[in-house]
Amino acid sequence: MTTANETTIKDQVRQFIREELAAAKGIATFTDSESLTESGIIDSLGIFRLVTFLEENFGVRVGDEEISADNLQSVDKIEALVISKSKKK
Amino acid sequence: MAYILQQLLTHSAGRFPEKTAVWARGRSISYRELEEQSNQLAHLLKTCGVKKGDRVGLFFPKSVESIISMFAVMKAGGVYVPLDPQVPVDRIGYIISNCGIKMLITQDEKRRALDAATRESLERCVVIDHARESGNGTGVIPWSALSEYPVSHPPVVTLTETDLAYILYTSGSTGRPKGVMLSHQNALTFVEWCAAKFQITHEDHLSNHAPLHFDLSVFDIYNAIEAGATVHLVTEDIALFPTTLAKFIETHQISVWYSVPSALVLLLLHADLKAEKLPHLRTILFAGEVFPMKYLKQLAEQLPGVELDNLYGPTETNVCTYYRVDRERLGSMEKLPIGIACENTEVFAVNDQDEIVSTPGETGELYVRGPAVTYGYWADVEKTKKMVVPNRFQKNFTENIYRTGDLVTLAEDGNYYFVGRRDSMIKSRGYRIELGEIESALLSHPAVREAAAIAVPDEVVGNRIKAVVVAHSEKSIKASELQQHCGTRIPRYMIPELIEFRETLPKTSTGKVDRVQLSRESVPVAV
Repeated sequence: MTTANETTIKDQVRQFIREELAAAKGIATFTDSESLTESGIIDSLGIFRLVTFLEENFGVRVGDEEISADNLQSVDKIEALVISKSKKK
Repeated sequence: MAYILQQLLTHSAGRFPEKTAVWARGRSISYRELEEQSNQLAHLLKTCGVKKGDRVGLFFPKSVESIISMFAVMKAGGVYVPLDPQVPVDRIGYIISNCGIKMLITQDEKRRALDAATRESLERCVVIDHARESGNGTGVIPWSALSEYPVSHPPVVTLTETDLAYILYTSGSTGRPKGVMLSHQNALTFVEWCAAKFQITHEDHLSNHAPLHFDLSVFDIYNAIEAGATVHLVTEDIALFPTTLAKFIETHQISVWYSVPSALVLLLLHADLKAEKLPHLRTILFAGEVFPMKYLKQLAEQLPGVELDNLYGPTETNVCTYYRVDRERLGSMEKLPIGIACENTEVFAVNDQDEIVSTPGETGELYVRGPAVTYGYWADVEKTKKMVVPNRFQKNFTENIYRTGDLVTLAEDGNYYFVGRRDSMIKSRGYRIELGEIESALLSHPAVREAAAIAVPDEVVGNRIKAVVVAHSEKSIKASELQQHCGTRIPRYMIPELIEFRETLPKTSTGKVDRVQLSRESVPVAV
């Protein structure tokens, strides 16, 4: 995986969260390392919209048991999950 | 018999000093530690000027310190006010000012995020994560200062069961939240009913899924403490991830669970709930919204040995009716009843002729009578007068009853069924939401001329919120800008997920916005 691709993954994730999740919660800014669950950007339904986005957009499959804070709590963690899944494909 | 809530802790600390009282975020605290630290904090609060009846805000994500703080405030004679750590600072500022809070227990970051006027209005802040060495702002006291105060006893204060214990803020129709005042007696009426009904013992492990500003927490915390059981606080990093949450129930050996139905529906849909993995789980209580029948049947099937109870009641009464799910009848049931009155509580429905409903099939507004009923709303005499009214159905003495605004039908078997609301309050994820409050947040934006908020029914969370907005023609505005604007005024769960712009809003013959028409035109929001 090249650096350019990794940047793209992060950008796309950030854009999706900003436009589809954060905006609807009235939140304009967040950092890549911040906890999206604690700040309220991701709620119980937002989690599944995020997973659907990752599956459709990056062609990866995220199992129910992988939907955890360790994998999805921040932009950094989401990026790491997508990269590790893409490598396994 | 306890007549004030903190006696529950003192009593259990005497019986089970070394038992774990509270678990949260990987930390636990024993009954002895909880008793001692709440004594210390109570002394600190009193030294800082907290007097009987003073309101103390708790403004930080739930943790072991939340429970210490709740008991400490009451031990100092005060009234605690749990503040949602996720709501906009504007709303927190409003509550702090409305409730006359002068003392706040918070985190450094949360304190700094408050607007300057609110910060200045506070006389003191106890900061739970503040190191003494890092220097204090004016009136900022580090948590570590507790160590200077005595552990063995709380300060001397005179309280009776009629004194206030806590105030819970809920959505208000006029655009601002309102504070429901709850006394020690209000809380204990409910706690003692639960203790008897659900037979909570010191061997139980209770979960605390609801936020602390939500009245479901009252059961989790006080019934655990009353019995000498352990309460396990569920934080966002667990609550939002169904597989993690299912594992939490398993590894923490949760025996009694209480939450809104939507939390259970998400577990059913996305976690592999297996009875054999949850051998300790014996009782599931749910409240706050209607449990979709399809999922309730599924839950009953997947967890065959677990007792299921539907609890019903607005914050103003905590729980006033209950229905124990009968698995034999469940298969053929189309709708779940809210059930019958809890002991020491009376409920009745009043029809449009102002008569008490006694014929099965008849509908009326549900009224609640008994020691669980609130005094009313903090600093809002008008609203209180509307909802907490003299009991006109008995003439022998003066007492108040609470009109819920909920329309119910009395069934043949004596159970009540919820049929709808008298006003425009809705529920989403168990949260009470006044559509008027959302509309006033939208209307406070200069580009908005008219706005209507409507509820779009949703199988999982009960309702999702949509807004239809008419903008001033000369100004253009995007949905995301409006959502961001709302985010500065109302909690996140109230912000419309979808905003539709129109030239005009449909009106009824009396000139009001026709919500029925708008709802009819709205298809469910896409996930």
